[in-house]
Amino acid sequence: MKAESTSLRGRVDWGLIAAVYGLIAIGTVAILSAASPLPHYAQIIQRHFLALGAGTLLFLVALGFNYQVFQDQSKVLYAAALAVLVAVLVLGHVQRGTKGWIRLPFFSFQPAELARILTTLVLAGYLDRRAQRSGTVGFVAGGFALTLPVLALIMLQPDFSSTLTFFPMILGMLYCAGASLAPLGAMALYGAVTLGLPLVWTMILLHPAWSSASSILGAFLAMREMGGAFVVALLVIFSAAWLAWRLSLQLRVSIPPPYFMVGALLLAAGLSSAALVDRQLKDYQRNRFVAFLLPAADPRGASYNVAQAQIAIGSGGLWGKGVFSGTQSKLGFLPERHTDFIYAVIGEEMGFLGTMAVLGLYMLLLWRIVDTARQARDRYGYLVCCGLGSIFGFSLLVNVGMCLGFVPVAGIPLPLLSYGGSNLAMGLFSLGIIGNIYARRYAFY
Amino acid sequence: MSRGARFTERLELLWLGATVGVGLLGLRLIHMQVVRNQYYAELAERQRTQVIAQTAPRGRVYDRNGEIVATNQPAFSLIFLPGKAQDPARLAGLAESLARELHRDRGELHERLLEAAREETAIHLAENLPLKTMFKLSELKTLYPGVDLIVEARRYYPNGAFAGHLLGYMGKVDRRQWLRLKGKGYRVDSWVGRSGVESRYEDVLRGVDGEIRMEVDAQGRLRRRLDEVKWKAGGNLVLTIDSRIQAAVEEALRASPSGEGAAVVLDPRTGEVLALASVPDFDPNLLLLPEWDLGKRAASTLPEFNRAIQGTYAPGSTFKVVMDAALLQEGTVRLDERVWCPGYLAVGNRTFKCWEKKGHKWVDFLTSLAQSCDTYYYTMGLRAKGPVIERYEQLFGLGRKTGLDLPGERSGNVFGPEARKGRKRGWYDGDTANLAIGQGELLATPIQMAVVAAAVANKGTLWKPRFVKKVERPGAVEEPASEASGRIDLRPEVWDKMQEAMVGVVTRGTGQRVNIPGLVIGGKTGTAQNPLGDDHAWFIAWAGRPGEVPSLALAVLIQHGGHGSSAAGPVARKAIEAAFDLASAKVHEAPAEGAMIDEVPPEPDAEHPPGRAPKPPPPAEPAPAPARHVPAARPAHSAPAPAPKPADGDVYSEDE
Repeated sequence: MKAESTSLRGRVDWGLIAAVYGLIAIGTVAILSAASPLPHYAQIIQRHFLALGAGTLLFLVALGFNYQVFQDQSKVLYAAALAVLVAVLVLGHVQRGTKGWIRLPFFSFQPAELARILTTLVLAGYLDRRAQRSGTVGFVAGGFALTLPVLALIMLQPDFSSTLTFFPMILGMLYCAGASLAPLGAMALYGAVTLGLPLVWTMILLHPAWSSASSILGAFLAMREMGGAFVVALLVIFSAAWLAWRLSLQLRVSIPPPYFMVGALLLAAGLSSAALVDRQLKDYQRNRFVAFLLPAADPRGASYNVAQAQIAIGSGGLWGKGVFSGTQSKLGFLPERHTDFIYAVIGEEMGFLGTMAVLGLYMLLLWRIVDTARQARDRYGYLVCCGLGSIFGFSLLVNVGMCLGFVPVAGIPLPLLSYGGSNLAMGLFSLGIIGNIYARRYAFY
Repeated sequence: MSRGARFTERLELLWLGATVGVGLLGLRLIHMQVVRNQYYAELAERQRTQVIAQTAPRGRVYDRNGEIVATNQPAFSLIFLPGKAQDPARLAGLAESLARELHRDRGELHERLLEAAREETAIHLAENLPLKTMFKLSELKTLYPGVDLIVEARRYYPNGAFAGHLLGYMGKVDRRQWLRLKGKGYRVDSWVGRSGVESRYEDVLRGVDGEIRMEVDAQGRLRRRLDEVKWKAGGNLVLTIDSRIQAAVEEALRASPSGEGAAVVLDPRTGEVLALASVPDFDPNLLLLPEWDLGKRAASTLPEFNRAIQGTYAPGSTFKVVMDAALLQEGTVRLDERVWCPGYLAVGNRTFKCWEKKGHKWVDFLTSLAQSCDTYYYTMGLRAKGPVIERYEQLFGLGRKTGLDLPGERSGNVFGPEARKGRKRGWYDGDTANLAIGQGELLATPIQMAVVAAAVANKGTLWKPRFVKKVERPGAVEEPASEASGRIDLRPEVWDKMQEAMVGVVTRGTGQRVNIPGLVIGGKTGTAQNPLGDDHAWFIAWAGRPGEVPSLALAVLIQHGGHGSSAAGPVARKAIEAAFDLASAKVHEAPAEGAMIDEVPPEPDAEHPPGRAPKPPPPAEPAPAPARHVPAARPAHSAPAPAPKPADGDVYSEDE
């Protein structure tokens, strides 16, 4: 065991490296092909390889750097995360309506990507410290409270998409840290209401027939116009909670009253934030919902991207049309082809073989992360693996699911494959940490 | 070995969840990429290709001498291929720029662009573009993806207005027509023959359009040619028209006093139409011009009325030829019987005037026709009676369409006691008198009168005139045979007498303007009273070389032209001179062979059915005339024929 731990063979996770660089290789080929018709092709390729070089450097640094230092320096990391996010709000430049980029001499840098990893490390440290109280509500609330400032700063940019991967990270880590399910469920409920209600609203607005068929819904919609619906909904929630409590008393089922109170408050809070989100939703974001809910509504509009991605993947067939020969990507039918929809390019040009290779390599990657978590020498390392693994797993499912029409277009790139320097470099950095956790699994002090 | 509790079973649960999720994605991929690959591949294929229709060159039309009267020319068209991701703001900008260049309504253009984008079909924005506009528009091509210029075969009529009424013109299919025709390969922006030969022989002339499949990008820009289905040119037509006669007649008609009229020239031996003209006429080329330009103006003022087959007029004294047939055949008249013409005839309590107020004194049968003495025909008409005359009207095909293969022919109107039946007004002797000189309610078209003249020339065959000599469909050549619509059975000596009387008109009567030595010409002038304006001038005639069956029959009408001899006579004379190759016959200048380009892309023989040599260029015959020697044309007046009474020039020829 000692011998194994000291030899390079035992310390380096070759499976992880194979998965990471296999994915990057496929991604690079796809980017080379997908971006080729673009006017600033040379610049894109230059940046990609620059980021790849920087990312590899970060990967190697993280691989050799004792990850436990991150736990000791939690406060510094936390301060750094907040600092870069404040900095981007002050110094950043606006791109696509979002102030999310800091422009440096050779490249632009997206601090939200760094902040995500730093937050993972900080949260892992926090949860590890409070592990004794993992069953309490405070454990969950504390975890959320810790990430709230980071999320708020990103929302200020405003970058809705970048915050999305925080939630699986937080929930995944809390879950794996042993948080009790009730508060976790409550949080999940809150999140579901917050994100789900706007979806439902959009759905209802898309089907005028529903509201005319149901007078209650129609009346509710009318009140929404006047702003009264919110108040009515709150009243309904609280009276429903009260009625449920009375009912439980009648039925002599002993449920403590606070449960009803908390449930009602949670729904009310979800409703409030849902109203906020609904109001904050940009048109293009709402259109993405529409595209997902009703793909046939407007084939040239919002659902165009998804439809084109599906055509690209489906037309690829078993062997693909050949790299650089995809008509969907070469002729410009496929939008965002080198970024969010890179998977569709792979599907078209490399076929079923390519898509399966990506899924396979990703499964290898996730397995290496999970396996590292299992073998990590401390709980901190374990939690870091869980958090980062959640990010990678979630991104994979959502991005590929989006290309296949399972999930609404959320603007989440496919890590290691999509074009995007910060995302690639930070992805490599985080996987370097995983590699380090693996390397140090037997290390003793 | 570890610090603190782990909840690894929870991690395993998440791991399981991820595995299941990825498994679902894998299943979906199998479904999309393996099972449904065909479906998606077709979708991808369809949206990356755009089909551009290639209008096939229309068949050529030749005259009987092989001269081209309708062919094709390469022309530039502006097309628009809507992209899959067409930006509405760009479309508005494009409409703006196009409206400026093409001088057209911006809103309408924008509407068409939007519709094309909606339907995802390529459309023609403008056709037959002048070179100057084309260069300007080629700049737009670089600014707006989806806009492109293509070369297409366009109809071209090398002789301009030549035989415009007969050839007809081309027009865009309208929406309703398209719904009917789209099964036959017509597109929304196809051209279709709208009248005349172009319309009647649409199915022969129209070829099969080709297609070019192009690869387009998301903005609708053409990337490259994928493959192509070649068009097939339409079949050719050879008309019976003789360009020389047609051109001479048209020119003479335009030079006539009113500039409104028609002429029909037939071959009485076959019923073939040698010339069919109506003025005012139009240049069918103008209708092919870009819509926003001359074309629109031309279309709105198109003199579409073809007087030769659609104009109905009282035949006036030309009807006396039919009267002669009735009088002779029925034995109503004795040839040596003479009638005293004091310049009028009293019928009942009305007085019917002869056109010659001084009177013709004593007139016999031959003189009566030569001098067109009305009094004689009043007298004989009353003797023959209405019903008999009416029967002869019908015998000679009046009141009936001749059956010329052109849309819109009118049948004219029979006038007589039978036709009057059932009407409030009865039939009176006054009506018979009117009918006897071709007035009253009797109406005939120029082509009907030409058929009458031809029937006299060929002694009884009432032709159904036709203007197509050969239909050259790819792989099959048809030569329609002549058809008679009726046979007039009169005794041979009746025909001889009628011909003699008509020759008299030309040699010593009212039609001396048409007298040409060396030819046997029979004719009859007519001046039809027109209560609405100036009288209509008529001239019907037949002509031939001595001892041969007459080879030409014609009818000329000059609307409001005044007198038959002075207004219609010169047209008839020109026609006869052209037909018999006399000096004054002006030959239509045939354009130099090289200047005519027939189709695009240039593949000279493509439209000819395999195995047949291309049409030889027209023989030297129709070349400009100066080299030809002919007896100098003499003024019609100095006709040496012994005129019993110098016909007093062109003062009053007849009637009234």
